[in-house]
Amino acid sequence: MLDSLKDIIRKSSIHVCLVNTGSCNGCDIEVVALLSPRYDLEQYGIYFNNNPREADVILVTGPVAEQWKENLLRVYSKVPNPKIVVAIGACPLSGHIYNQEGSKIYPPLREFIPVDAEIPGCPPRPAEILQAILAVGPDAIAAKGRQKP
Amino acid sequence: MILPIGPVHPGLKEPLRLKLHTRGERVLSAEIDYGYVHRGIEKIMEGKTWQKAVYLSERVCGICSYIHSQTFIETFEKIAGDEAPLRAQFLRVIANELDRIQSHLLANSTYFSIIEHETLFMYMLSLREMIMDAIELLAGNRVHMAWNVVGGVRQDAKEVHLKSILDILDKFESQYSKYPQMFEHGPLLGLRSKDVGFISKEDSIKARTVGPIARASSVPTDLRTDHPTYRDHLDFNVIWRDEGDNFARTMNRFDEIPESIKLIRQCIENLPEGKFRKKIDIPAGYADRRNEAPRGEVAYMIETNGNLIKNISIRTPSIMNIDACARYMFKDVATVADAVATYASVDPCIACAERVTIVDEEANKTHEIRGIHNIKTIEL
Repeated sequence: MLDSLKDIIRKSSIHVCLVNTGSCNGCDIEVVALLSPRYDLEQYGIYFNNNPREADVILVTGPVAEQWKENLLRVYSKVPNPKIVVAIGACPLSGHIYNQEGSKIYPPLREFIPVDAEIPGCPPRPAEILQAILAVGPDAIAAKGRQKP
Repeated sequence: MILPIGPVHPGLKEPLRLKLHTRGERVLSAEIDYGYVHRGIEKIMEGKTWQKAVYLSERVCGICSYIHSQTFIETFEKIAGDEAPLRAQFLRVIANELDRIQSHLLANSTYFSIIEHETLFMYMLSLREMIMDAIELLAGNRVHMAWNVVGGVRQDAKEVHLKSILDILDKFESQYSKYPQMFEHGPLLGLRSKDVGFISKEDSIKARTVGPIARASSVPTDLRTDHPTYRDHLDFNVIWRDEGDNFARTMNRFDEIPESIKLIRQCIENLPEGKFRKKIDIPAGYADRRNEAPRGEVAYMIETNGNLIKNISIRTPSIMNIDACARYMFKDVATVADAVATYASVDPCIACAERVTIVDEEANKTHEIRGIHNIKTIEL
């Protein structure tokens, strides 16, 4: 009873935090475009507040740059449970074009923190990002909330 | 006391640490810590063939990605001593101005979101989606257009698409004019923006500010006036203001959008017939090229042996603007909220602003990463 009540609440109010780990801003502005009246993230009960301490979903963009090797886990540990991580763009998956000799990046993202969903594309369209967050977000958060620590 | 803001913070979309020195709520000065998004793009480009580096140059920055590829391509055309066909140059202007409009709208929307004016924030993003549609019609992509190749543009624009772009611009203009007025005459918006984050003309020149930030403090510099296509074939005004505060910077961006629309209309109406792409052979050589990005001046300095890039240096506008913000605009700001709004009003773009210099403290030497060698092989 209590669990199913918690499920409803967890599914209907999701807070999102965007962490840029060295992206070119392309994916970031497509996430910002989600806030626009055309896509309107908030009609699905998803709120964009960019504060890790209040977030349920972390959206990570960019290949993991030098400074983020240790800091990424620190940001991740500050997010309260239950939490999910969505990697946006080709960079967190493979490093994309930056993964060549001479660069200072350390992809993939899943070596640093557990990743629940990955959206390839350079950059993915806003509709694809929205689809991925909706497909994995509410159910995964509800399922993770039921897990006993 | 020192108040750190960032790198992941509700106020900032990009990772950067602002250290505000405050007394009470009043901000006395500020420091800025970079280094969260350094990828080493110049380093990757060196030793690559230039055909590969075109793709990479677009990904220096996502918001003004178009102008980076254009400047890169024009540098190579300058090395070859040749120019793209006139039709291609006009098509480049259309893409460039569309990109400028969406970037200015995004910058203003970020400013409004930080001064907590949600209504204008939503209006700006709603307008921006129209321009993104126009960009998609022209180039097929929303963000990274992949529109430039050496000797022209990738594909010809169809008559139907150009007509649709004109229709979108008509619709855009019919809605647009009321928003600058909303901002200009709104009493609360004026209180939050006027006389906040002031930078004088002298300081602005001293700090080498560029783009709308310089133009808002009466330095009427616009590199488009030096660009051959704009100079010889098109007619536009350089917008500048003399207040030098957050209000002026935002209004300057607002006023530049109609000029960009005027330029796009001129280009589409006078689009010359002919080829949109031609063959250009690249010899060995060196050239530099400067262009006006939405945020200011972007410069590419490239040395090539005709096939590989031997040395490349990219100068992007944000680094000067952010430093001017930290040094001059944060002097004596009344509240911390105003300081964050001032920071947003300079339209910071960190993705292109990261550089590396290795400092050897004991020997008191600095190593700049230049030329073809791996970063791991530098002897300290």
